[in-house]
Amino acid sequence: MSELLITPSQTIGPFFKDGLRLSNGATLFPESAPGRRIRIGGIVTDSRGEPVPDALLEFWQPDTGGRFGASREGSSAGFGRVQTDGAGRYAIKTILPGQVPASDGRMQAPHILVLVFARGLLRQLLTRVYFEGEASNARDPVLALCGARAGTLVATRGPADADAFTWDVVLQGARETVFFDA
Amino acid sequence: MKLRDLPSGTHPNLLHPAYASTVERAPRQPPVTLKAAAAELSGPRFDRTLLFPHHDDLTKQTDGEPLGERIIVTGRVLDENGEPVPGTLVEIWQCNAAGRYHHDKDNHEAPLDPHFRGFGRVLTDAQGRYRFTSIKPGSYPWRNHPNAWRPAHIHFSVFGRTMLERLITQMYFPGDPLLGYDPIFNAVPTARARERLISHFDLSVTQPEFALGYHFDIVLRGPEASPAN
Repeated sequence: MSELLITPSQTIGPFFKDGLRLSNGATLFPESAPGRRIRIGGIVTDSRGEPVPDALLEFWQPDTGGRFGASREGSSAGFGRVQTDGAGRYAIKTILPGQVPASDGRMQAPHILVLVFARGLLRQLLTRVYFEGEASNARDPVLALCGARAGTLVATRGPADADAFTWDVVLQGARETVFFDA
Repeated sequence: MKLRDLPSGTHPNLLHPAYASTVERAPRQPPVTLKAAAAELSGPRFDRTLLFPHHDDLTKQTDGEPLGERIIVTGRVLDENGEPVPGTLVEIWQCNAAGRYHHDKDNHEAPLDPHFRGFGRVLTDAQGRYRFTSIKPGSYPWRNHPNAWRPAHIHFSVFGRTMLERLITQMYFPGDPLLGYDPIFNAVPTARARERLISHFDLSVTQPEFALGYHFDIVLRGPEASPAN
């Protein structure tokens, strides 16, 4: 069977603000969702360490029980979309995700899938955010693939507030975030 | 479920110096290959609560008609096996007929059109079909290099069934002389793949005395055939 050619990607460009506006996009679950409520925020930077004020980040994760899109309120629960502000910052509110298995059945540590889009990126970047303090990080099969750079995927806990995490995205440079293909 | 491996040469390379902003923004480390797991192989499903009045008709969203050539843009979202992708979210945005975006960061000296905001969204139907009414966008200058102009284009964002199928791209118009000069379009590695980004004028979509019709199918990654087949 001959397959169709997949449509190629092009950059999102700088003018997507109205086209991709999602109301409540920064809140991944409704108020009623069970689990540990957390916040994640950070800054997206380029090779010069300059903030990227025109990036779009999308997040996708399961609920506290490890189920995707299972909320009573609708099957986009667990999805988030935010645009960085003028200082390159983003912020989301969510629930700590439940654990789900890898393709070989081994359990993965809690993580959120992230897509990064921006002017200057000709296709999206795929990455993940994990959480400092989770014992299962040490056994996560995907973090193990990242070697010394695994730390770029682990959000750090706030000193004052254990439910406030910081995770920065470094597009290029000395502490470049790990990006995946799959 | 497993998706077919992505054929090499499908998408542009991330570093493409002719497109200047890739130099500071493209990651330089090679990507780490991971075997897709639950999050990669699932995705959000959106419903009609996301749609707003005249979500699919960019000529009717204000209290007057925008200037420019009215167009209808339609096509199907399919996977690479030829299967339709029904009920998936397609979002578009574009500049106006003069080449100006309704966005505070666009300061190109072309007039804003008070009757054109330039964005829309639809959910594909059971056959994977989408349809928008709009006006033909103008080309616009963008300072990437001396005398740089983007070919006329409409930005498309498509979800698909899983996050790995997610696609953001740009649709171009046939016969546009700027295509030969555009570094974003030419970052796509092969002529056959670049052709996929150009819409086709379609007289059967064209409506007499009303609007020209363009056809543009969008093909996403799809599952491997199951061994049982």
